[in-house]
Amino acid sequence: MKRLCYILIFAVLAACSKNEKVQENATPPLFKELDAEITNLDFTNTLTATDSLNILDYLYYYNGGGIAIGDINNDSLPDIFLTGNQVSNKLFLNKGNLQFEDITETAGVAGNSDWNTGTAIVDINGDGLLDIYVCAVVGINGLKGKNELFINNGDGTFTEKAAEYGLDFKNYSTNVAFFDYDNDGDLDMYLLNHAVHTVNTYGPAEIREKRNEKSGDKLLRNDGDHFTDVSEEAGIYGGPNGYGLGIATADFNNDGFTDIYISNDFHEDDFYYLNNGDGTFTESLKSKFGHTSRFSMGSDAADVNNDGFLDILTLDMLPDDEKVIKASMGDDSPDIHKMKSERLHYHEQFSRNMLQINQDGEYFQDLGLISGLAATDWSWSALFADYDLDGIQDVFISTGIPKRPNDYDYIKYVSNNQIQKELSKGNKIDKKAIEMMPSGAVENRIFKGTGNLNFKDLSGSWISKDSIMSTGSAYADLDNDGDLDIITNNINAPARIYENLITENNKNFLKIKLNYKKPNIHGIGSKAIAYQNGQQQIKQLFTTRGFQSASEAVLHFGFPETTKIDSLLIIWPDNSVQKLSNLNLGQTIYLEPEGALKKVNYAELFPKNKLWFTKIDSLPGLDYEHKENRYQDFDRQKLIPYQISDRGPAVVVKDINGDGKEDIFFGSAKFDKSAVYFQTKNGFEKQTITALESDAPSEDISAIIEDFDHNGENDLLVVSGGGEYYGENKALLDRLYLQQDKNFSKVKFPEYFENGSVVKAADYDNDGDLDLFIGSAAVSNDFGNIPKSFLLKNNQGNFSIDNENNLGKIGMVTDAIWTDFNSDGQIDLIVVGEWMAPQFYENQNGKLIAYKIEGDVKGLWQSIAEFDIDGDGDKDYLLGNWGLNTKLKANKENPLKMYYLDFDNNGRTETILAQKKNGNYYPVNGLDMLVGQLSYLRKKFPDYKSFAGKTIKEIFDKEQLAKAKVLEVETLASGYLLNDNGNFSFKAFKTPLQIAPITSFLEYDFNKDGKTEVLLGGNYFGTIPYHGKFDQLAGIMLQSVDTFIEAKDLGINFTQKAVINLNILHLENKEYLLVTYNNRKPEVYKLN
Amino acid sequence: MKRVLLLLLSISIFTGCADEKSTPKETVAISAANYHDVLDKITNVMVHDIFSPPVASRIYSYANLAAYEIVAQHNPELESLTKTIGADITIPALDTTKAIDYKMAALIAQLEIGKTLIFSEVEITDYSDSLFVNWKENDEDVFINSKEYGMQVADAFKQWIDKDNYKQTRTMPKFSVYTENVSRWQPTPPAYMDGIEPHWMKIRPFTLDSSSQFKPERHPEFSMEKDSQFYKELMEVYEVRNQMEETGNKSEEMAIAKFWDCNPYVSTQRGHLMFATKKITPGGHWIGITKVASQKANLDFDKTVYAYTTTSMAIADAFISCWDEKYRSNLVRPETLINKFINDQWKPVLQTPPFPEYTSGHSVVSGASAEVLTKLFGDQFQFLDDTEVPYGLPEREYTSFRDAAKEAALSRLYGGIHYRAAIENGLDQGISLGKHVVTTLNVKTL
Repeated sequence: MKRLCYILIFAVLAACSKNEKVQENATPPLFKELDAEITNLDFTNTLTATDSLNILDYLYYYNGGGIAIGDINNDSLPDIFLTGNQVSNKLFLNKGNLQFEDITETAGVAGNSDWNTGTAIVDINGDGLLDIYVCAVVGINGLKGKNELFINNGDGTFTEKAAEYGLDFKNYSTNVAFFDYDNDGDLDMYLLNHAVHTVNTYGPAEIREKRNEKSGDKLLRNDGDHFTDVSEEAGIYGGPNGYGLGIATADFNNDGFTDIYISNDFHEDDFYYLNNGDGTFTESLKSKFGHTSRFSMGSDAADVNNDGFLDILTLDMLPDDEKVIKASMGDDSPDIHKMKSERLHYHEQFSRNMLQINQDGEYFQDLGLISGLAATDWSWSALFADYDLDGIQDVFISTGIPKRPNDYDYIKYVSNNQIQKELSKGNKIDKKAIEMMPSGAVENRIFKGTGNLNFKDLSGSWISKDSIMSTGSAYADLDNDGDLDIITNNINAPARIYENLITENNKNFLKIKLNYKKPNIHGIGSKAIAYQNGQQQIKQLFTTRGFQSASEAVLHFGFPETTKIDSLLIIWPDNSVQKLSNLNLGQTIYLEPEGALKKVNYAELFPKNKLWFTKIDSLPGLDYEHKENRYQDFDRQKLIPYQISDRGPAVVVKDINGDGKEDIFFGSAKFDKSAVYFQTKNGFEKQTITALESDAPSEDISAIIEDFDHNGENDLLVVSGGGEYYGENKALLDRLYLQQDKNFSKVKFPEYFENGSVVKAADYDNDGDLDLFIGSAAVSNDFGNIPKSFLLKNNQGNFSIDNENNLGKIGMVTDAIWTDFNSDGQIDLIVVGEWMAPQFYENQNGKLIAYKIEGDVKGLWQSIAEFDIDGDGDKDYLLGNWGLNTKLKANKENPLKMYYLDFDNNGRTETILAQKKNGNYYPVNGLDMLVGQLSYLRKKFPDYKSFAGKTIKEIFDKEQLAKAKVLEVETLASGYLLNDNGNFSFKAFKTPLQIAPITSFLEYDFNKDGKTEVLLGGNYFGTIPYHGKFDQLAGIMLQSVDTFIEAKDLGINFTQKAVINLNILHLENKEYLLVTYNNRKPEVYKLN
Repeated sequence: MKRVLLLLLSISIFTGCADEKSTPKETVAISAANYHDVLDKITNVMVHDIFSPPVASRIYSYANLAAYEIVAQHNPELESLTKTIGADITIPALDTTKAIDYKMAALIAQLEIGKTLIFSEVEITDYSDSLFVNWKENDEDVFINSKEYGMQVADAFKQWIDKDNYKQTRTMPKFSVYTENVSRWQPTPPAYMDGIEPHWMKIRPFTLDSSSQFKPERHPEFSMEKDSQFYKELMEVYEVRNQMEETGNKSEEMAIAKFWDCNPYVSTQRGHLMFATKKITPGGHWIGITKVASQKANLDFDKTVYAYTTTSMAIADAFISCWDEKYRSNLVRPETLINKFINDQWKPVLQTPPFPEYTSGHSVVSGASAEVLTKLFGDQFQFLDDTEVPYGLPEREYTSFRDAAKEAALSRLYGGIHYRAAIENGLDQGISLGKHVVTTLNVKTL
């Protein structure tokens, strides 16, 4: 009996543990991690810090080694070369079955340099034998040696011949890439170098124009038996400030020439070199990328969204663990950030991984945050591939650093205590100081691509959660089973093989090996496009990827469940094209150019529809430019979540002077005069309206032009705001200018001192004149407080606040619309705003009664428009929100919270933003930000580790939190209120409409198809660098629930500009789109 | 017999105690050395917590003044300084009927105010706990009474301190550097920190009727014209550095610059590593000199507290006066101009501290401190200044406080962080303010 009992208990226990395991590993491992004991891949990049060589003396001491893969003995098995920093390099012969043999000694490739970094395997002389190029760091702290080129003798031995080829550089080299930049059939070389000096002062960006032998990058042209440095003539920067850590080559714009993306660490910009096709490049980062990673490290280029254009992922070091985020130095303060961009002319950079999606080569959109790839902590190498053979790219990211130099406590407290102690003893500080730095041994990451540019973190499932520090990484099909295995070079740990197990039960792969013309025998630069079920996938063959490494020269595809693909196009490096049809999957094919091949026509391959718009340089006489006044909300309200002072200007397009032509009113920022332009015969003429001049101190946020007093002439009403004036400041008053005999005069208007945001007119009391709704945004200097919004009744141009329709404190209103949402013939009102739900008011015979809807969702709503999105004949409403490409997260169950209270009892209120992570609410801001406003917290948290990982409840007292007013956001997604028989429910838009805040909608029949479309504009820059810059929305045309057209196909591009207003403008029987931005000139597009 | 002896003993103890109650007795020998120790402890925590020079001066002055007011309650020769300056604080009277060690009470008040004003409380708590255990073991009654009184005084101080506008200034607007005007201050390398304490002129002073009472002469008009006074002074900063470079690291100018650096937070980068090199503030250095002088003059406990208190009040007011001018004139640092117009690779010997240039804080503070110390200890007071030894710097010898102050002021030119006008006018500003403090507080020679 007793025994039985035990057995039962055991069984129960076993069942339990089994269940747990199943739950933990919902996704079974995709990779098997193989140790050196099994594979004999016996290589460890051991670092031994010495007095003269350590992280204090060489800033890239912890960057680790690289990997190069290639079949050096032509036995069809890829061999592995690993570089060591202080240890010798090793070459391992692949013996099959994942068994390796160390042949370094006999091959003679151990190397003669003191410190090796990146490497590549390449057939440099086109003799059919793969050679090895190894980078070295030479010249600092006594490091000797040079970059070496081991030429393959074909008998298992190599001879070092870098000098003969002119490639024996003694630089601070990071990595190398071989590709044919001038399309002359041979492989040229890009040498990626790095500066070693400490960043004590930021020179202006222009210092990159000077060349520096040791740290400047170099482009070397292959002239047959030697290489020539063509950097200068080709337009490649080689300055003293280049902290080159990543190189990606790809034909990004599909013009048949290879372009280059260089990742630079620290403040130096990344470089995007577009190949001009004539042997030169044009560095085009600022025009093509709104922002980039800041501490840019490794990268990889791949077509992630299968649109035929190669995208790029650049790595950085943003942590995702609360304890690490709050203890680590990250982005700059707003002032330093501005100084770098405005005074020193660096581009916008933020510390996070960025997934830059290529929009037909015209511009890139960073979708890192929305994709789930933004935060992988200290990251070195990224490798895109279809590891699980489902037709969608996955990505492996190697991470980890032995010592984390950006730990705040270390920088501010720990290091100093140590230094002080040692100094007083007269000792050297170095060793102890280094030992006390915290470890950054974080796990390698793998993400499964799940479509729609989403990635799921499967670290801990597909691979184990390790604590090894992996730097260089490469992929290859080491066991020739059709899937891609991964190899990592690790610091102080043996190199690791991740054996991919997918082909054990899924053979949906196609592996392509190329045999091209000499000397580029492996066809580096070739593209392959696979077509299947209307889906295309494109790959371009370059081996240098990730970080300091080169992968196997193979084009590898995976497909969703099928055994065949329809066709495959191979575009050879000379742009000749070859087509194969009806290919079976589960095989490796070997291709060479066959017959007389035609050149590819990229325009046909990636056809463009007719564009909807054509950009016009300017319209005659329209010289308006909006200049936002210099004011930073964060200087006055340090914890404000975003600025409120940069939401203008007001714009109205309407006939002002009664000549039947559309004129324009532009509002202005504080102290600037608003501008009125009358349309003339073929353009515009600026007017001087005396009544407006004296109101220059007001910031004009919204305006309306109507004949309010029924005298046959249009009048002007301007709403003042700007988030700067507070209290009873006259500049906050809204102003009504009535027109009589072509003269404007300011007339009496109700006085209230709110930070206005919107005015909308309608005759809601049905008495024949236009009444007003005037909404107020956040309260200046008291963010979190709720202002009053008003209904104003019109009596022949005499307005009075409608006290019978007291709307009260609706919220921080941003937009409103008069619309008969219940189709009862009476005009109703909908108001939207930040930290509130869309508020419906039903008009019941002139009384506006709050009306509850199902889609009662609190958002950071920016805009609203009426549009029958589902084409069912009733009115739906589009809602612009903050978007999902942000660090902020919110949903109905776990809303984003903002606590509003005078936390420190000093008579000034504060707002504390908190969001939920792993079941707890954490403050969004770090300790320094909080202490900047709430100095008492410094006593509670004298260091960073005591603060890091603390929940909002642990940071603030219970009583405080109970007393605070809590504002919430339940969704950040833009979307629409779907009208289902008067029932309005909220539906979110698709990903391309979520990449930035949407501030404007313009409903119009743009393409003259008899149906209305809606053009969406947005972007917003008023956040601290931690949140980045929302500058990625290029504009998008919404046609129905599922159809929208992206900017690249419309002919517009609003990226890097903050759209405030979209208007249609008629001039000489032509239609134009007028786009008004905050803090820059408006742009004009002609409708095609 | 035994019993009798016991009885006798108890009587004598009893009577002894009763005697002491009328004239408070020192149960443990608390000396000036204890006072120095406590202040050193507070200094160490301040260095660790990284307090900027003005904020540090506030901590020193209140901690000393709280202790001093207790001493003044006990010593009829000393006047209450809070009364002298007409402060809105009532110091609880010393209850002479209780067994209170006024020195112990003074140290307790000093520690309590120190603890309240620094961040890392645990450092002070650990330190005071070890003291308290000793004192309690020695005589629990005296300890409890002294502690009670010390805390009463500390509480009165806390209420008074709370009204000095410090809390309000924490949340006042950040100093905006947005201007195209090149004469305006800009953040400086390598950390490009925000301008610190832009509202310090709003802090309640001890002896000043307003923060602008000792408003210095205006600095030479900003000009990049080669023959202008301003430009000449800019070039002097540039050339002094070049000359020093020629002489090498062993030059006297280099030694002076480094000795008087007194920058509480020098952000250092080596390789990929960032760390802080911390030192005491200019005020902290003069507190150190006060210690050196007090020890040399062999001052007793009361006089030691008096010396520290009067000096630290002068230092605090000096910062208020100096900061008033700094954010009024808002003048650009030499490093910014030299990098922009003369040599983009130039670096000053010292790291430029994060606030506007005019006047030099160290000059004002040194001028003011030296005046008070000269009054306290006399004009020709020779001393060996070892204040910076814990921070890896050598000792230096001076023939007088004014001599030291002049050198401290000039060190800013050698350090490459101030023009001559900020030094000379700053020193004048400090001297005038120091003389005013001497008069207002009626500082006596010890």
